[in-house]
Amino acid sequence: MNTQTTGKSSKPVKTSLAVAALLALTIGLAALPATGAAAFAPTASIFNGTSAIAGNTERYLHVKVEDAENGESVNVNLPLSLAEKILPTVNHGDLHHGRVKVHDLDVDGVDLRAILDALRDAEDGEFVTVKQKDQEVHVAKSKNNLIVHCTENKDNAKRGQKVEVTVPMKVVDALMSTMKDNELDVVAAIHALAEAGDAVLVTVQDASQHVRVWVDSHSGSAE
Amino acid sequence: MLLAGKVALSLVGTAVAGVGLICSEGFVDVNVQTRGADPHHIHIAAPALVVPAALHFAAKRDLARSCHELKEWLPTVRVALDELRRVNDMAFVEVKQEGQHVLVKKQGGSIVVDVEDENDTVHISTPISTIQSSIEQIAAASSADQTQ
Repeated sequence: MNTQTTGKSSKPVKTSLAVAALLALTIGLAALPATGAAAFAPTASIFNGTSAIAGNTERYLHVKVEDAENGESVNVNLPLSLAEKILPTVNHGDLHHGRVKVHDLDVDGVDLRAILDALRDAEDGEFVTVKQKDQEVHVAKSKNNLIVHCTENKDNAKRGQKVEVTVPMKVVDALMSTMKDNELDVVAAIHALAEAGDAVLVTVQDASQHVRVWVDSHSGSAE
Repeated sequence: MLLAGKVALSLVGTAVAGVGLICSEGFVDVNVQTRGADPHHIHIAAPALVVPAALHFAAKRDLARSCHELKEWLPTVRVALDELRRVNDMAFVEVKQEGQHVLVKKQGGSIVVDVEDENDTVHISTPISTIQSSIEQIAAASSADQTQ
């Protein structure tokens, strides 16, 4: 009789413990991704549905600096939406509500505003070419992009520096949209950049260093 | 014995619920390893819920002092943390030099900082929700200090 009684009544105890263990296991697994356990990262991404959906349209600004001579590299990856949301909240120095105050747009007698107005309406082509003994600068407009090429030649060609800047005209327009108030609208430019598609914005190459700034839809910095 | 089963279930259930609550915000993980002549290894994995709870008991005046410099940047920090919670897991900054490696990334709802050089290895992982709670505690302490 005793054995029967023990057998019957131990069942709910076992069931209780089994349920509790299952609960503990579930909670433990749910808590693991927050500890940063790399092995469970896929689990985290499965549960993180909102992020996965947001990631489809997210665009990223990448900066990559490589110094082959010293074996150094720096990678910076920034979601453009993050910059677009953060910048309007910064009120410091010349940056207010996502706009930068420009104190003097008339640089050495050159009216940048007038030049950009002219560029916007102009056909594709090269507008400025400056050739000096050790330096060349080209400014052009091509396929709705503003392109600036600078080449610096030092003692020999290998030591020189080459800078290429390509900015979509939409981004330039957005940046300059508040120029009448002597301000550059950085947030509007970032928004335009996010909508402009994949683009390499800046490349700088010299004998040992290589700098690259680009926008794409990959969160990593693999080119 | 049926009653014992119910009592056992209640006790274990309460314990599990307690553990679940403590673990619900994840863990703050700090792992520091120093090498060389006098090597050390410190590893702390504390439930993240402990951090805001500890701040709650910290002296309000000390917190207000901490907030003084932070105040200007509070809106920025709040927006940044909200956005960081939203974006996918990714590496934000990675610096590699000879014998040195620094990585700042988002992983599974936490901000992770890994620093490694010839002498030290440092790993810090903090849930973003914990940073948010802590910032709000400090901000609240500052507001309370101003009204007094």
